[in-house]
Amino acid sequence: MKILPPVRKLTIVAKDPGLRVGMAGAMVFAQIDVPAEILAPGPTGYRIKVVDYNSTERRAYADRQSYQREHELLDPFAPDSGESLDDPSYQARVVGDPNFHAQNCYAIAMRTLGLFERALGRRVSWSSGGHQLHIAPHAFALANAFYSEPDRALMFGYFFDSDGKPIFTALSHDVVAHETTHAVLDGLRSRYTEPSGPDQAAFHEGLADIVAILSIFSLSEVVAAGLGHEPKLPGPGEPMEVIAADKVTAKAIRESILLGIGAEIGLSDGAGRGALRQSVRIEPDPEILNRAHMMEPHNRGEALVAATMHAFVQLWTARIAQLGTFEGGTYNLASVVDEGAKAARQLLQMSIRALDYCPPTDIDFGQYLAAMLTADRELVPDDSRFGYRAAVKASFAAFGIFPPAGQCDAEGCWPPFAEADQLTYSRSNAEVLTRDVDECFRFLWENRKALRISEYGYTEVVSVDPSLRVDPDGIPFRETICQYVQIAHFFGAELQGVLKIDPLPEGLTTQSSADVFGGGVVILDQYGRVKYHIANCLDDAPRQRRRLEYLRDTGQLRGRRDDSRSRFANLHLARMED
Amino acid sequence: MAPIPQTATVFAYQVGFGDCFLLRFDYSDGSRRHILIDFGTTGMPKDDATITMKRVARDIAERCGGALDIVVATHRHADHISGFETKADKTGSGDIIAGLKPRRVIQPWTEAPDAPEDWTGPEGTDPATAFAARVQSLDGMHAVARAVVERLDREGFDSHWPLAPRLRFIGEDNIKNLSAVKNLKSMAGEEPEDKANYLYVFHGCNLDLSAILPGVKVHVLGPPTLGQTQTIKKQASKSADEFWLRAPAMLALDADAGVASARRSMLFPNLEREDMFRRSKMPAAMRWAAERIDTAEAEQLLGIVTKLDKAMNNTSLILLFEAGSKKLLFPGDAQLENWTYALQSEMADLLDDVDLYKVGHHGSLNATPKSMWDRFSKRGAAGKAGRLTSVMSTMEGKHGGKHGSPTEVPRRPLVEELKANSNLVNTQDLAKGELFHEVIVDLR
Repeated sequence: MKILPPVRKLTIVAKDPGLRVGMAGAMVFAQIDVPAEILAPGPTGYRIKVVDYNSTERRAYADRQSYQREHELLDPFAPDSGESLDDPSYQARVVGDPNFHAQNCYAIAMRTLGLFERALGRRVSWSSGGHQLHIAPHAFALANAFYSEPDRALMFGYFFDSDGKPIFTALSHDVVAHETTHAVLDGLRSRYTEPSGPDQAAFHEGLADIVAILSIFSLSEVVAAGLGHEPKLPGPGEPMEVIAADKVTAKAIRESILLGIGAEIGLSDGAGRGALRQSVRIEPDPEILNRAHMMEPHNRGEALVAATMHAFVQLWTARIAQLGTFEGGTYNLASVVDEGAKAARQLLQMSIRALDYCPPTDIDFGQYLAAMLTADRELVPDDSRFGYRAAVKASFAAFGIFPPAGQCDAEGCWPPFAEADQLTYSRSNAEVLTRDVDECFRFLWENRKALRISEYGYTEVVSVDPSLRVDPDGIPFRETICQYVQIAHFFGAELQGVLKIDPLPEGLTTQSSADVFGGGVVILDQYGRVKYHIANCLDDAPRQRRRLEYLRDTGQLRGRRDDSRSRFANLHLARMED
Repeated sequence: MAPIPQTATVFAYQVGFGDCFLLRFDYSDGSRRHILIDFGTTGMPKDDATITMKRVARDIAERCGGALDIVVATHRHADHISGFETKADKTGSGDIIAGLKPRRVIQPWTEAPDAPEDWTGPEGTDPATAFAARVQSLDGMHAVARAVVERLDREGFDSHWPLAPRLRFIGEDNIKNLSAVKNLKSMAGEEPEDKANYLYVFHGCNLDLSAILPGVKVHVLGPPTLGQTQTIKKQASKSADEFWLRAPAMLALDADAGVASARRSMLFPNLEREDMFRRSKMPAAMRWAAERIDTAEAEQLLGIVTKLDKAMNNTSLILLFEAGSKKLLFPGDAQLENWTYALQSEMADLLDDVDLYKVGHHGSLNATPKSMWDRFSKRGAAGKAGRLTSVMSTMEGKHGGKHGSPTEVPRRPLVEELKANSNLVNTQDLAKGELFHEVIVDLR
């Protein structure tokens, strides 16, 4: 029997078609690792199904590629012999082939999903319950790309620049990774798309950009290109390539294409304003989240991206400063790139692992910060060597984001569950508890008083997930993440009586009604005991009041919910208005 | 002594889904003045073929004795200006109106050839440049609307597309109506000295019509200039202008017709026929997603044309005629964003004792903002002395989505409120063959 290799290589456009190098302005291509599998046409694999239908042209483009021969996994768009990834003729050929665009989306989406699965130590589901997410690489001639939950799909549009050249959003790694992150996050925390405070909608946008930006740093040739070098680092035994110190200052890095999103789209749709977004250019400002323009979700999300990227730049430049310098104060390019990869990987893992420590409803940036710090401390208790947590905390503080006051310990982390002695385990089967939602619900329900789980409303255990990670000492580290959500439709009188929101916010009467949410994650340790309970309780009157006032002020209280297809689409199109 | 206006008469014409009002002032010396406020339709009543725009035009001509004093075109939408269309052989309804030789034509500043005097752009910008950018962005909107309609007309298009009727309606309303626009720029004379007959106005500008309308003061409450808008908006509208300017190319809809029916793909011209699947011959594995992608595209197009429709509505004039003891409000299709500036300005007090209200935007929900309606002190239950009169020109089932949806036009709860608290005159209630409602307001 032949054995499949563990991974397959596939060729993609790295970062964004707007990243160009050399005199000829070649694009940067890369060959990345994706899980090995026998692909069906599309390509269609076990998590992604590409459907290359174009509704503007009312036709689909057939997939004519061979992805495997016998038991050999192929990269159909690898350069032919005698060609290289940076040959203009090669690049023109593959970019003109819709099948390449399809493969590009497949590969980047699988890679992005893989980042989450690796960081969380488990498989991650799509929110629809289905296993294969659709991707339409050329869905329509519109300058938009979005994740649509009811369609179980990512749809990528295309448009034409002023010279009539098509701009494909499906060719931008930034855009594909961003939209895939929306889908993954929706699978992990499906209630983050509900109307909530200003942070929740912004969080989706912010995390999507953070993942899109940081995930590129593990591709060393792309980082080299982003720093203005040829996208090829010297191999073993080859002479060292150096980079001038002024190219790796904090300012130079902040302005590089590496920390932007959608360079090509930005250049072609906004009269030369550069990348679609370059959030890291936002200057630290502790009051920024209170400013009026920061109420728009994309803008507000950029503050989260900026806080994270300022931390990243600080961590990377600190690591560079520790490297030895060469003649003229230059650095070894390979080492610079390597340090960037390490800093990005660590920060990305912190950003993703934090999700397990976030309450499942009504997230705000402060809670996310506490979750990030907690997740990292669980795995790496000693922060003294590289100071990741210190850097993140300082950078977030500079953007006015602090762990929730009164709810965290001195380090800004969630405190362990304090009333462990109040819990009853005797009626639960410890082994079943770590894998069965009904058993988990029974445990929560029987301990509802100690866990402050309201008896009102509808309560559901959304997921019980194992999480297995390896700590820096190489020791496996196991937790179980139980996520539960509470939903209630309350009339004003009940908001007053049950939730104690008294008096009601101005504009609400005893007859008006609203949906309110609550819920938490219960983290079980390796013995099946409650280690953390991180919750936004349903009966948290001050929080519910803030939320209702925000919904009232933004006209979402009485308005019907956006239907879910247009939810993300509208966010993207919203920029045509101001 | 100058004559004094004694009565005002509003003729609300049956134009289906559209607006057409003839406002007449009767003076103490027996003379009359006539103002035509809008003349357009996007759908005449289907059950009455006798009513045509030409018949309406001829009736206007007769009623004003062959001479109009003023023509007002509140904004550029077809349902407000299509009647001004001319024909090469001079037999269009617009030719009849042009023959009435109006002495003045009043339009919003967005229609001006150059930035009007005292017009303000956003702070720190050159007014001429800002003005030109806005005008270009309006043209961009027309181009998008036209492209959407052309797309609907295109061969090979699936007529069962669920959103097609709404897309077509809004699209057609927003197509630039060249001959009507031209007519509105020439009907008051084309000699150099006639230039002053064309008035392009904005919030708070000084509109002096005393030579033509003695004893009548016309206040301009909207639209605001870009500079005025900036004071109520957090951000300048530059990015929105840029969007509409570039939208036609971005959406790629202005490409040669037939993108869906052409043998070759416009996007991938090198693909052979056997490497593509027609919509009707799609493999089973693709059909579920393809149907969804079609709907997603239509929804987005609808979102775009709805936004541009709203932007165009917000260029609408809001005119308040003050004559004798009475006030008559004609806000065209102004929606909330246009009203917001007027309502926070010093002129808002003028609204407190409005006597006659032309219902904004055919009775849509957000063209009668609550904060405006609440100001009207003369609204009230039947029998109230000096009760407010509201005049609405509309036709159900034409615009804004399904019956009962928040976007339906006219919006039912609004109609109920208008009925309950004002004397509602609705063109929809005109009997078959009836050409207009006549509302007389005693100005003394």
